[in-house]
Amino acid sequence: MTMITQAATLEDAANALPTQRGPFFPRKKKRIAGRSIAILVFLTICALFFCVPLYVVVVTSFKTMDQIREGAIFSLPHVWTLEAWDHAWNKACSGINCNGLKVGFWNSVLILFPSLILSIALSIVTGYALALWNVRWANAFLFLLFICAFVPFQVIMYPLIRITASIGIYGTLWGIAAVHAVLAMPVLTLIFRNYYKDIPQEIIRAAIIDSGSFWRIFIEIILPMSGNILIVVLILQITSIWNDYLIGVTFGGLGTQPMTVILANLITVSTGVVAYNDNMAAALLTAIPPLVIYFLVGKFFVQGITAGAIKG
Amino acid sequence: MQLRWSRVAPQLALAPAVAVTMVAFIGAIGWTVWLSFTRSRRMPEYEIDWTDWTRQYARLFNDGGWAISLQNLIILGLGSALAIVFGFVLAAMIDREWRGESFFRTVFLYPLAVSLIVTGAAWRWIFNPQLGLENFLHGLGFTSVSFNWLASPDTAMYAIILASIWQSSGFYMALMLAGLKSINTEIWSAARLDGVSFWRLYIEIIIPMMKFTFITCAILLSLGVIKAYDVVVAMTNGGPGNSTWVPAYFTINALSAKSNIGYASAAAITMLVITALIFLPLVLITAWQQRRANGGGA
Repeated sequence: MTMITQAATLEDAANALPTQRGPFFPRKKKRIAGRSIAILVFLTICALFFCVPLYVVVVTSFKTMDQIREGAIFSLPHVWTLEAWDHAWNKACSGINCNGLKVGFWNSVLILFPSLILSIALSIVTGYALALWNVRWANAFLFLLFICAFVPFQVIMYPLIRITASIGIYGTLWGIAAVHAVLAMPVLTLIFRNYYKDIPQEIIRAAIIDSGSFWRIFIEIILPMSGNILIVVLILQITSIWNDYLIGVTFGGLGTQPMTVILANLITVSTGVVAYNDNMAAALLTAIPPLVIYFLVGKFFVQGITAGAIKG
Repeated sequence: MQLRWSRVAPQLALAPAVAVTMVAFIGAIGWTVWLSFTRSRRMPEYEIDWTDWTRQYARLFNDGGWAISLQNLIILGLGSALAIVFGFVLAAMIDREWRGESFFRTVFLYPLAVSLIVTGAAWRWIFNPQLGLENFLHGLGFTSVSFNWLASPDTAMYAIILASIWQSSGFYMALMLAGLKSINTEIWSAARLDGVSFWRLYIEIIIPMMKFTFITCAILLSLGVIKAYDVVVAMTNGGPGNSTWVPAYFTINALSAKSNIGYASAAAITMLVITALIFLPLVLITAWQQRRANGGGA
């Protein structure tokens, strides 16, 4: 055995010798290292490509307009100034209102909390009932939800405007929050249902015999074991509600527009002198909350977007 | 009693979700379908002239703006498909090299956490012809470089594609990385022992093994492209002219700017049909292949 292996190694070495001078094994190691370096260089270049817009936005937001007019987009600010940040937060104009982005920030916060509570409460109960209780039409309903998850928003937009208008919440923060909850319901229900369906049926059966009612089982058994999925869904919802533009612009009235809508109004104005430093500061202000969440709990964010995208 | 209650309670708990589905999804789709057959303009009308019920659709398909929207939808779809390729390359690289995996993943995924309005704002600024990247490159001596994509109807769409790729590559990378990690480690060592070359290993073994991941990515990409709206608003607002209109933009524009309810409904229903056309075959293929795979295993 050893003889054969040795012979084979020798033969390999002999084959390798004429082309390469160094001994066989170090040469191989070196080649792997070379490939590693190539990969790392490639990945670093890609990482730079991904970071360039963020870098440009950050440095621009700290510059003065005088320096921006010099035209060196990548240069660092001569003088670091918070003027643009202050202006974007307090005085930036959206249409005729010049109260700054702070109005939109507080609107976004006020939209966020009711939407989170509504959407998660609705879909966690639905997902629990569909996964663990014998409802005869559960599969048909799940299929319907799966289809609904793919319906483009434009298809149901006008009816939703009419419905919210008829119950008097069109143009209010509550209207935006309710529409968020409605649109998120199919996907979130599917996520919760997929999570709960792996719970053994025996637990539920035992709990029913133990005189557990639907709601008692939910509160005493199911909720305590939902911590992980709740965090994933919470982060998915926080980022998608905060980053939403379409619902905000469609259902928001004057004074109830979320931050993204005010930012969009700010950057798409075509009249007058465009203050790029204000625009970039405004963009950063809008991006900071989700970015903070991303850098703090990125793992859950990735789980959330993949679960939200694949939908069952 | 208890047994019966255990049947009633879950159905009661499901009632709100069923109501939402029936009203806000099924009912609303039916409502929009109905409106698309009417002559509704600023105010909804509910009478259908059955001799001419397809008039909105006929008008739609003779509308130059809608033709541009459909054309842009295809361009955007083909262009953004590069994000899947790019995502796969990134995932393969990260998977082969253990160093810096979490760092690179974090960097490639952060654009996804940010609103597309912010993404659009950043790229709009980079594409600024007087003060942006073009000016910078000219300053370096590359005076023939033209980066003024947003100002020209011929190139504005490419700027939107670039921003979309920048935003979504990380997402496809995450999906691909999950697919690569699920590949049996023995395949890598077997391939190395057999001396399979790097390219053949990927093209003939790894990519075919990951076809489900690729199909998933393709479905998600198609759905994302049909829904593309925010990035267009933030980067070009449909301009110059109507050169960067996409169906999602066209529909909302017909409703809000032209306030033509019937016309917007017809456009929206066409979007729904396009979604179904892309979505159903891909789902059927996936289901069929999964069934075949299961049958082979059993």
